Amino acid sequence: MLRQSLYPVMLSLLALLAVGNAVAQNTAPSLPPEMTASAPPANAGPAASDEFKSLDEEVQGLKKEVLDLNRELFVLEEELLFPANTQVAVFVSMDVGEFFALDSVTLKFDDKEVANYLYTEREAQALLKGGVHRVFIGNLKAGEHELVALFTGQGPNTRDYRRGATIKVEKGVGAKYIELKISDKAVKSQPEFIVKEWE
Amino acid sequence: MPRRRNTLLVAAVATPLFAVVLGGLLPNEAAAQRKVKVEQPRPLVGTPQVVRDLHWGDVLFYFYQDDWLQALTRLGASQDLDRVTHHGTEAELLKGGLYLSLGQHEEAGRIFKALLNDNVPLDVRNRAWFYLAKVWYQRNYLDDAATALASIKGALPGDLEPERHLLEAQVLMYLNRFDEAIRALERWQPVGDHGDIWSSYARFNIGVAMVRQEKVEEAAELLNEVGQIAAPNEEAAALRDKANLALGFAWLKANRPDDAKKVLQRVRLEGPLSNKALLAVGWADSAEKRYTKALAPWLELRDRNMLDSAVQESYLAIPYAYAQLAANGQAAEQYVTAVEAFAAESTRIDQSIEAIRNGGLLEAIVDNDKANQVGWYWQLQNLPDAPETRYLYHLMATHEFQEGLKNYRDLRLMQRNLAAWSLSVQAFNDMVDTRRRAFDQRQPGLQSTLDAVDLDAMEAHKNELESRLGEAERDNDVAALATSREQEQWSKVEQIEKLLANADQSDPMVQEQREKARLIRGTLMWNFNASYKARLWRARKEVRELDVAYKEARRRWVLVGRAREDYPARTEEFARRVTTLQPRIDGLSARLEATGQAQNRYLAQVAIKELQNQQQRLAAYSLQARFALASIYDKAATSASGKSEEKAPDNAPPGGQSSGDAGGAP
Repeated sequence: MLRQSLYPVMLSLLALLAVGNAVAQNTAPSLPPEMTASAPPANAGPAASDEFKSLDEEVQGLKKEVLDLNRELFVLEEELLFPANTQVAVFVSMDVGEFFALDSVTLKFDDKEVANYLYTEREAQALLKGGVHRVFIGNLKAGEHELVALFTGQGPNTRDYRRGATIKVEKGVGAKYIELKISDKAVKSQPEFIVKEWE
Repeated sequence: MPRRRNTLLVAAVATPLFAVVLGGLLPNEAAAQRKVKVEQPRPLVGTPQVVRDLHWGDVLFYFYQDDWLQALTRLGASQDLDRVTHHGTEAELLKGGLYLSLGQHEEAGRIFKALLNDNVPLDVRNRAWFYLAKVWYQRNYLDDAATALASIKGALPGDLEPERHLLEAQVLMYLNRFDEAIRALERWQPVGDHGDIWSSYARFNIGVAMVRQEKVEEAAELLNEVGQIAAPNEEAAALRDKANLALGFAWLKANRPDDAKKVLQRVRLEGPLSNKALLAVGWADSAEKRYTKALAPWLELRDRNMLDSAVQESYLAIPYAYAQLAANGQAAEQYVTAVEAFAAESTRIDQSIEAIRNGGLLEAIVDNDKANQVGWYWQLQNLPDAPETRYLYHLMATHEFQEGLKNYRDLRLMQRNLAAWSLSVQAFNDMVDTRRRAFDQRQPGLQSTLDAVDLDAMEAHKNELESRLGEAERDNDVAALATSREQEQWSKVEQIEKLLANADQSDPMVQEQREKARLIRGTLMWNFNASYKARLWRARKEVRELDVAYKEARRRWVLVGRAREDYPARTEEFARRVTTLQPRIDGLSARLEATGQAQNRYLAQVAIKELQNQQQRLAAYSLQARFALASIYDKAATSASGKSEEKAPDNAPPGGQSSGDAGGAP
């Protein structure tokens, strides 16, 4: 009899286990989305109670407002602090990166240091995947300026590597974007640093 | 370490969503990239991007770091500022994906739907259908999700194709269309090791769903398969354990204890499911009346953490087995222990409920989480060992709780985000003031510069030059185009000739001088005539250049004047925008706080309910134990009085008393 009375308890365990996706959430950190957050609840019916749904809708609405505000603030910040007619931005990009592992970039405009950026592993990986980092944004008067970029990192054979590049920049009326691209020169097994100006 | 785990999760989970959002267009490069990034468990297929707009690369920089809030902000701003014009469709797909990843289903759905028109290439439409299917699946609109998946024409690029079949199988499974789900899985072509594990998850889920449908034989086939997969890592091993446990319980329920035991014994002895497996192995033996054998796993369980319901159950199972073995004394002793343990546990749950009522639940959870990332795919990785959370493992594994927790966490992160912007708003105000002051300071200098320039006089001068040139040309006045030196010489010749005209004409010297003057005049005139055309051409060219320069000066003068007028207006426009920000930020922050608290209260309520359920379960266990205990005492008393005299039942020695049904509870 006791066994009979315990059986429902045991079967409740089965039910608990049967929520495969839900159990999986806690124990397997790298599940595919289908098994995790995105899976509709298996045996609990629709997950969301009315109270949950209404809260969820409120949260979604709020998040949307915050996201919109973020975008507006970002645009305002740029327009206010870096008007288009004086704006200069310097971007760093990388392609394969076999011959150079980037550690840091230092920038000087007209002999004045304007940026010194140390890259984390995560950021360096993002560059390798195709991301482009805006390492500096500032204001410059129209006319000719000198930009000195200094890259440090590990070159071929994991040796410390420093490389500088000097660029004459002609600043016109509109915003000026300069891309510093670190590329692999397979023939020489060396990295090369390419400067590209964008208007 | 938590960071690392989170990274893995995000890599595995987020990747498929975005993989072909960004890829598909460049399959060859995608393949190349896959080679390079072998260390990633599931590389972002197609990530190499030919960046044709720098700001698109800027968005990707943050996207690849899983910083979706920053990526979405920059993407929106770049779209507003027309900076990603070469990546219009990709940008929309990514934006939809980012909204989806941030839990904004409606916005994501709106964007994907907009990509479903005939002007968009089939490839993009297919991807949009796919993501819409995901959106609807996540919102539990399963029929819509199935329809969306059925609308995909041809194959999706890269890893999306197998993922589509997995999604399809999941959707069909939840629609109880199991046969179709299995067929969808059969079409699944796993990509690499991770693809295999995904397929296994799908089979596991379908198997479990079939068990619930009482289709044990069909389920057994799937679960048995998953229960024997290679387990090179913890994830695969855990899944294998789950499949074996699920199948074991299914066989037990179907009254096939031997089959149950075989699969249950595949579960690892130390693992998250080992307790349940031990309990079930005991029940399998018990079902075959092998109580001594059953005791072995149950006694092992009793020394484990009481938080686990399987351990709690072992406190009842052990005395039950003793009773079945007629060891009533030991059974009674174990029941007493069980009652005490359940009471102590219930008291601890009371403390947990109290702690949650005091509002510490979500703080305890979220504070334990170090990943500073908003996100739909965020999941709690490690539960803190706090009174508030100790009993909530199962609750926290539920969809609803996880979603609520994510909302709460996102609200807090957004509060921090707004707090950071709030500081910037002060800087914006300072900047507006600086603009005003700078303008006031520059205004006098600018005015004096403008005053010093008389463009009208310049224009008059230019006009005069034009008219003089015109006259010279009309009159064929070659001398008019002479250089200043030539004109000086010309006027000297004229002066000399005038003097000579008044002199004595008979004087041979005067005659000689007149002849010389005539010769010089002739030479000069010759030069004028000879260079006239060239001079006229040059003069015309110079006048034209003068005209251009004058017009440019006039244009700039107008621009400067306009800028001088516009600058204060633009500054005031900035001031207006900045002024509205702080109240908006404050308002939103207050609403974030209030909604966060509401979320906290709601989840606390759910948690307390869960704890109360656990307490009820413990109370039920306790009741069963008491009944069983009473029954043992009763039997002992009956037996003692039946034998006649001496000993009272409560002094009965443990063990040794025969009782066929001693452990029987009502």
